[in-house]
Amino acid sequence: MGRSIFRVGLPQSNLERSQAMTSSFLLHIQPAKVHKHSIKAGYSLGLGLISLYLFFILIGTGVLLMFYYVPSTERAYNEMKDLQFVVSAGLLIRNMHRWAAHLMVLFVMLHLCRVFYTGAYKRPREFNWIIGVGLFLLTLGLSFTGYLLPWDQLAFWAITVGTNIAGYAPIIGPKVKYLLLGGNVVGQEALTRFYALHVIVLPTLALMMVAVHLWRVRKDGGLSRPDESGDVIEQIPLGQLPTNKSYGLMELARGTTPQVGKNPEDEVFSWPHLVFREILLFLLVAVVVLFLAIFWNAPLEEYANPIYPPNPAKAPWYFLGLQELVSYSAFWGGVVIPGLLVTALVLLPYLDRKRVGVGRWFARERVMANSIFTICLLAAIVFTIIGTYFRGPSWSWVEPWQQPPAVTEGH
Amino acid sequence: MNPSASNDPNGISRRGFLQLALGWAAGTLAIVASAAGAVRFLVPNVLFEPSLIFKAGKPEDFPDGSVTFLESERVFLVRQGNTYRCLSAICTHLGCTVNRAEKGYHCPCHGSVFDEQGSVKSGPAPRGLAWFQVTLSKDNRLLVDKSRTVAADQYLVLPTKV
Repeated sequence: MGRSIFRVGLPQSNLERSQAMTSSFLLHIQPAKVHKHSIKAGYSLGLGLISLYLFFILIGTGVLLMFYYVPSTERAYNEMKDLQFVVSAGLLIRNMHRWAAHLMVLFVMLHLCRVFYTGAYKRPREFNWIIGVGLFLLTLGLSFTGYLLPWDQLAFWAITVGTNIAGYAPIIGPKVKYLLLGGNVVGQEALTRFYALHVIVLPTLALMMVAVHLWRVRKDGGLSRPDESGDVIEQIPLGQLPTNKSYGLMELARGTTPQVGKNPEDEVFSWPHLVFREILLFLLVAVVVLFLAIFWNAPLEEYANPIYPPNPAKAPWYFLGLQELVSYSAFWGGVVIPGLLVTALVLLPYLDRKRVGVGRWFARERVMANSIFTICLLAAIVFTIIGTYFRGPSWSWVEPWQQPPAVTEGH
Repeated sequence: MNPSASNDPNGISRRGFLQLALGWAAGTLAIVASAAGAVRFLVPNVLFEPSLIFKAGKPEDFPDGSVTFLESERVFLVRQGNTYRCLSAICTHLGCTVNRAEKGYHCPCHGSVFDEQGSVKSGPAPRGLAWFQVTLSKDNRLLVDKSRTVAADQYLVLPTKV
């Protein structure tokens, strides 16, 4: 019975340990053997894997929520209340979805920082970096479209502000906004569109890109390592397979594979070394999300009121840096600066081509690149902190340790 | 590609080139046309949104010197003497509803400040608030058209009989 499902038994020998990986559908996307450096927790910090696990939790809880949620301006908010007060474990599932979403944005950002600080975007991994940037944007898109669905004040005004920023883009901006909202105002059409994007379009795109991302990690020679610097074998001619390993046929799939340091003695069997670490990490992520979801509830404000914005009306935390920039100028802060940052991220591996300092944190040879990145990162953090803690009613400057001034103005 | 169509083993024959060009052109056209059709499908032809023209009420409903916020329409109706004007309450920055302040209007979202004439005094708003055309309907009601903007000094003047 067990054999018919798993094809091989619990591995007893090295051969069976390889077979455990290659003969299982779920495990075969991973190599049979993995470099010791790749499973060092201190190198990758498991950030990409944590992001993936959060994505899985989001799919699971999201599908459950879909069984109750109705994308209707009249019913959506009531469904939120039902989840909170009527549905068994409804509040917990919604909280988990909310927390996993916030954490996923955070961990995708941290993963991006890790890859930058270890120079892991360099040849041959340039294209995988671009896919990663795409996944980062998709994560933000998923988060943004999900934000509207509860149809409370927070949702309504965050999306009103967000789509108006899109409208500032030159030429196509107003058209994109119209297409996104399915009209001129945030209403039922907008909710329907955001729902379709949130539950099928963006998750499917993300899932496919995750698959390519993981596949490329393997095809590009596994995780980046310090000893591979400068040695990329451009093309392996047929009939000249590397002789230092027994499974060289796999190398035929792609020419540019870092070979140096890939000796059998540097590698360990994925089963159990990699697989058990992955399971352990998943349990850790699940425990943290559950813990957060049990003790802190996802916010739900009043029913969306298209007439009165809350004061101050704030976007989710990861967009507050952007909102702070937008408070100076919608065009420069909302379109030009983010546009330039994304362009810079995409072009980065083609601008910074020297293969030095790969596979090490904060390599001395990369002090210039790391400094520029750190300055941008710090600026983003400072703007986010200002937007989060230092802005009160009417976006006025408020020191967080002071009592916010009472709102006196009215209609 | 039919290999026999090529006479020159290193190059490409005229027939081969035409076949290739036609194939690529047809394929590209099919993809572009499908994408364009899909995008056009997503552009709504009918909007189920409230009309931009609405009746604000009788002129005498608004006392002299008053600025009245009409909630459902998100506009301010301004009366001074026997003149009537209508100011948009939608911030030109990112679309929040502005609040009436002691002198002028404040936006709660990003802190834009407008004066009594709707002009930007400070903050990120790129333009002043819009003034809408006000006319009198046949049944003696103020008729506001939110699709027509007018200059700030354009009034509806009614004969003083109220």
